[in-house]
Amino acid sequence: MGVGSLALAWMLQQEAQAIPANVRGNPASFDLKPKPAPAAPRANAMISLFMHGGPSHVDLTDPKPELSKRDGQDYDGEVQFSFVNRASKKLLGTPWKFQKHGQSGLDFSELLPHTASVADDLCVVRSMHTGFNGHEVSIRYFHGGIPATLGRPTLGSWLVYALGSESQDLPAYMVLSDPGGHPVDGVTNWSSGFLPSIFQGTVLRPKEPRILNLDAPPHLQGSLQEQNLAFLQAINQRHQQARAGENDLEARIASYELAARMQTAAKEALDVSRESEATHRLYGLDDPATKEYGTRCLIARRLVERGVRFVQLFLGGQPWDNHNNLREALPGIARRTDKPAAALVKDLKARGLLDTTLVHWGGEIGRLPVTEGSGPACGRDHNGQGFSIWLAGGGVRGGMAYGATDEFGHRAVENVVTPNDFQATVLHLMGLDHSQLVYYHNGQAQTLTNNRTARVVQEILA
Amino acid sequence: MNYRRLLDGAVRFSPRLAVVTLWLGAALLSMSARAEDLTFERDIRPLLKAHCLDCHGGSATEGQLDLRLRRLMVRGGDSGAAIEPGKPEESYLLARIEAGEMPPGNTKMEAHEIDVIRRWIAAGAPTAREEPQEIGEGLGITPEERAFWSFQPLTRPAVPAFGPEDRVATPIDAFLVERLKAAGLKFSPEADPRVLIRRASFDLTGLPPTREEIAEYLSDTAPGAYERMIDRLLASPRYGERWARHWLDVAGYADSEGASNNDAVRPYVYKYRDYVIRSLNADKPFDQFLHEQLAGDEMVPPPYANLAPDAIEKLTATGFLRLAADGTGSGNNTEESRNQVIADTLKNVSNALLGLSVACAQCHDHRYDPISHVDYHRLRAVFEPAFDWKSWRTPDQRRVSLFTDADREKSAAIEAEAQQIAAERAEKQTQYMKQALDMELAKFEEPLREQLRAAYETPAKDRKPEQEQLLKSHPSVNISPGVLYQYLPDAAEDLKKYDARIAEVRAKKPVEDFVRALTERPGQTPPTHLFHRGDYRMPKQEIAPGDLTVAAPEGQAFNVPRDDPSLPTTGRRLAYARHLTNGRHPLSGRALVNRVWMHHFGRGIVATPSEFGKLGEAPSHPELLDWLACEFADSGWSLKRLHQLIMTSTAYRQSSRRTPEADAVDADNRLLSRAPLRRLEGEAVRDCVLAVSGSLNPTMYGPADPVDADETGQAVVKDDKLRRGVYVQVRRTQPATLLTTFDAPDMLQSNCERRTPSTVAGQSLMLLNSDFILDHAARVAARVEREANEYVLSPELTEGVSRPAALDGAGWQYGYGRFDEAAGFVVAFQRLPHWTGSSWQGGPTLPDPQTGWAILHAGGGHAGNTAEFAAIRRWTAPRAGRLSIAGTLGHGSPNGDGVRGRIVAQNKGLLGEWTVHNSQAATAVESFEVAAGETIDLVVDCRTNSNTDSFTWPVTLTFEGKPIASQETFSGPPPSGIEAQAALAWELSFGRPATREELQLTLNFLGQQMETMRADARYASKPEAERLRQAMTNLAQTLLGSNEFLYID
Repeated sequence: MGVGSLALAWMLQQEAQAIPANVRGNPASFDLKPKPAPAAPRANAMISLFMHGGPSHVDLTDPKPELSKRDGQDYDGEVQFSFVNRASKKLLGTPWKFQKHGQSGLDFSELLPHTASVADDLCVVRSMHTGFNGHEVSIRYFHGGIPATLGRPTLGSWLVYALGSESQDLPAYMVLSDPGGHPVDGVTNWSSGFLPSIFQGTVLRPKEPRILNLDAPPHLQGSLQEQNLAFLQAINQRHQQARAGENDLEARIASYELAARMQTAAKEALDVSRESEATHRLYGLDDPATKEYGTRCLIARRLVERGVRFVQLFLGGQPWDNHNNLREALPGIARRTDKPAAALVKDLKARGLLDTTLVHWGGEIGRLPVTEGSGPACGRDHNGQGFSIWLAGGGVRGGMAYGATDEFGHRAVENVVTPNDFQATVLHLMGLDHSQLVYYHNGQAQTLTNNRTARVVQEILA
Repeated sequence: MNYRRLLDGAVRFSPRLAVVTLWLGAALLSMSARAEDLTFERDIRPLLKAHCLDCHGGSATEGQLDLRLRRLMVRGGDSGAAIEPGKPEESYLLARIEAGEMPPGNTKMEAHEIDVIRRWIAAGAPTAREEPQEIGEGLGITPEERAFWSFQPLTRPAVPAFGPEDRVATPIDAFLVERLKAAGLKFSPEADPRVLIRRASFDLTGLPPTREEIAEYLSDTAPGAYERMIDRLLASPRYGERWARHWLDVAGYADSEGASNNDAVRPYVYKYRDYVIRSLNADKPFDQFLHEQLAGDEMVPPPYANLAPDAIEKLTATGFLRLAADGTGSGNNTEESRNQVIADTLKNVSNALLGLSVACAQCHDHRYDPISHVDYHRLRAVFEPAFDWKSWRTPDQRRVSLFTDADREKSAAIEAEAQQIAAERAEKQTQYMKQALDMELAKFEEPLREQLRAAYETPAKDRKPEQEQLLKSHPSVNISPGVLYQYLPDAAEDLKKYDARIAEVRAKKPVEDFVRALTERPGQTPPTHLFHRGDYRMPKQEIAPGDLTVAAPEGQAFNVPRDDPSLPTTGRRLAYARHLTNGRHPLSGRALVNRVWMHHFGRGIVATPSEFGKLGEAPSHPELLDWLACEFADSGWSLKRLHQLIMTSTAYRQSSRRTPEADAVDADNRLLSRAPLRRLEGEAVRDCVLAVSGSLNPTMYGPADPVDADETGQAVVKDDKLRRGVYVQVRRTQPATLLTTFDAPDMLQSNCERRTPSTVAGQSLMLLNSDFILDHAARVAARVEREANEYVLSPELTEGVSRPAALDGAGWQYGYGRFDEAAGFVVAFQRLPHWTGSSWQGGPTLPDPQTGWAILHAGGGHAGNTAEFAAIRRWTAPRAGRLSIAGTLGHGSPNGDGVRGRIVAQNKGLLGEWTVHNSQAATAVESFEVAAGETIDLVVDCRTNSNTDSFTWPVTLTFEGKPIASQETFSGPPPSGIEAQAALAWELSFGRPATREELQLTLNFLGQQMETMRADARYASKPEAERLRQAMTNLAQTLLGSNEFLYID
């Protein structure tokens, strides 16, 4: 006998209809074992230095002589403001000098001297565009593929869902949070959304202990806990043998094994004291201004080196969100991050890891060419219409700038790149097709880019 | 209750023929559909609805083009006909779509969808039936859309026929077995009684059965024992706590407001949680339960003052509608955030009661389901009068005070009393001030004195400049009540006494208490406007309240009256609540029983409990779902009865073991040929650990136990009162780490329609290393130590189980015997029978008639009176290995002839011999091989004179590189009851005794731990009993972290 008549009639009707089929399904179980990419990958790991808040591209990566020339004059065009109450149309030329660097002659301002020193390894995309000036809207767009929509699986989740991890001793997707707290939207920045939870980011705490419960309690460390674990696995095995085919039981046995391995592997991976004096200096660990961020960049390298697929660094609060006091605040955050970020590129390169590791630096928006407020403590308002990010390694061409904003830096006007384009490009570098990487949820084939227009930016591929 | 009664008559009915006919008919239909039998209604309209009708037919007809009917497409718009039937190449619609110009935006039609349109046009653009002449506003609902399963009218299906071999115990089984047989499957055998009581206990109470409960159930051999066990669980107050948690998930319960960074705590929301627990425990009819939650305020006459308990209960129930995140009291009282509260509430309500995410229709017509933008606002209009976003009330303003007039009177009387004292105080203060001033002024001569007095007594605002100046230059005259103490210390003390009395009196005032409720303001009925694109800044036409159109047959959409003249409120919510619980509501009827089913079987009959639309999953057993929905309503909405019905089914009582045969056909167990294996939820993990460790605090109700971050950054329960997880504060921004690690929702977004169990390393790390688990493992160890002497070890459990030597002390035995000088070995070793608490000897008094003065204690002892009674410490090697021995034999008296020490190995014989008399000797034995189980004896005899034979002989055995010091490992009798403790730990953790094999494994583990600890600097100097407790703690921790503990068969 067949299925119930109502369901049958409905299923037949559904089959004939062109609504999204929900009979297609996901694999019966999920794991983080390494999986080959469908196409030859250029990168097998990614480190994202997420600079949320909106780094001021016109003061850092996107020189605008016309803006400097017309400093203090009113902007003719239409400006998209966020904070209308403090809005002005007065153009603000950058207070900092730009210079060309490296063989490629890529421009950077004096606020990023270390980044400038690796210019030939960087591809600066100057035509980023979300179309929205708000932080949350654009952050969610970058992580989840749809502007403003919260709670979707993040880029990192999709990567580890597709590719698993090269390390079975460490979580596949790790987030290095800032001592100043989580970014806006908190933990949803690394949520797996509707993907199974094994694909969500594991947060490393900003200070020791970076992983909760990682250390065996002092009175059990050593052979006592090893015996506990061996005994546990023995009784778990007996329990499981009587319940053959129960994947969850196997998964939990495996997760204990991972936990046990993490107790040593994660400890080792997170222990930057094992690095040389020279490396410490390279990342700025000898300087209070760069020590914290430098330590995290160094940990990121150590994780990727050990097979972690995706590592993302966040900042606490919005240090790039310079509505006021641009002249003081921007050099501060630039100084905190410039040397560590450049060190990461140098170090990966020196170790032969840059070819296969994609490094991303960038925020969700940039800043306006006009002032917000006035006087020496003025700042710049949000700008989702045009801003810069940079990429390095992992199959991206170094020493190039791609795309352009208008002559004042307000709007991306040439080779516009959206977060969806960025995502399609990242997946492409990892050997994945953004339109083919699907997960079935509520009967629908879901993708990171959600069937939105997304283009692999071929021009920046090496 | 015997549910076989419900089966009466069912056996005679055979629907087989009917169903087969339907199957064939449908199959034919399906085949012909593939043979180009495309129709507009079934195949084309859903595509257009998903992609086009927003602009061409729904609320707008851009370019004058309306695509809602075939004839309107032929008529076309500004650009002419949209289609030319039979001529796809000449059809403008198709051209625009194929060019990628339509639909605009990023979401394009897929190639196969375009192909369907092409083929339909090519076939002449057929329709299923004649199209209506008139078409109203909006999209309407087609018969094809109405045919969807969840919109079908709810009717009670007949129970399928079954045979005696089908093991049908309730109608549920009849529905299930029909499908099972069709797949060549049958029910699994009934689960073991211990499994059943554990499963039922977790299902109904969220706690493991106690040993007593298990024993009672197992010993009840009379018929109906299982049913009695279920009834007992249903009667437990723990039942309400368990099932409240399920309801709180979907209702979106949280103890904080969310929606802002400070995430303010909701001080009174716990009363709603308690209301749910009480209602469930009382088995309040579920329709009434819903009426109260949706409209409790409309059942109580306003004003809400001097409330009787019943009225308070009904108002508390409306807390259900106040669970959405609400930042309007936390500095975010914008129109946008107000409307967000309403939208989130509608989402919670529709998720819980309709099984649908109507939220999709908030901004436009639902793309896949026939839920229009208007329908969304019809629902909104039901709730609008209470929320009233234009004259919004913040959370504090919405509170209803429980102060009665009597309370107020009492409070006023007390305040009057306080004021009386305050007046006395004021008078007294005036006197003191005057006194102080007089004293101070006395220091000045006239006329200055009078000038100063005049200046001081002139009110500040009336003072002349010279008076100001005068006071300024004589600061000590500026006496104020605040500085009075500097002038008259005793006066200040006296005034403080008045303050204390005032405070004391005021403390007697009744404390004003509140409930978190949703209420309307009578006579104030705001309109509901359709918000264009969901934007409250773009209101369109006014919408009247009503249910979803599709939830009633064509033309019979349920309209909620705008106002019920018999009520002071609009009555909208009450009318809607009654409609939803009319017993035949197609959505709410199915949605409710589906949730109950989900919590019993781990998955709903519809696996997507809040998505009964096209984007959800189809029901696995649609008739069963309908039957349950009708049965639930028809039999009086008793949830407890529904549990009985489900839990007495054969399906529920099956074993959970997989079989290859069933896995081959139905690996996902959709057909329920076995019970599912389920993992404990976060709260159940906590509760179960507390129960096993004997520390669960059964106190019910009241404010949530607050959560705070500990020094490791985990959010833990502060000053943990060890109550159940349902009482742990749900702070949206700081949910308890233990609970969320095991997938409890954080409620950060909104409600939780279904929990997804995850398996991550963080859970394992928590079970290995967290303070919580270590603490409770230690409590389990203490508990088994306490209770083991009452635990009866059954002979069949212990038969053949041997205690590893390492559990009998550190391998030492203390006794006496003789060294056979001829053979070179020890003979006739016997244990010394008496333990004094610090030494071993022959009996309580010395000399013992048999063993004389033979004594052994930690540092040495006394040799017996003859060579037969040499004092012997015997050590047994736990395994083969290398051993070396070092020590110092000492004798401290010139009397007698001293003693002789010998070290004798079981296999090699005498290893060394030393004689001391008021002297010392080093007793070193070089490293040598010992066999597993070989004994090493430290023998001391009295030589020829039995006078003054006390000796000291600390020895260190170094075995396999690890030292065993005789003094530190000296021990009394081996602890009794290790086996009982271990077996009890198993039984408490798993609700079943260990098997012999498991007991042996456990003893081996404990022995291994003891041996490790004795050689471990952290434990070596601790008493043996402490080491044993640690080993038991480790055993308990292992059991609490095991799969058998975390998963329920």
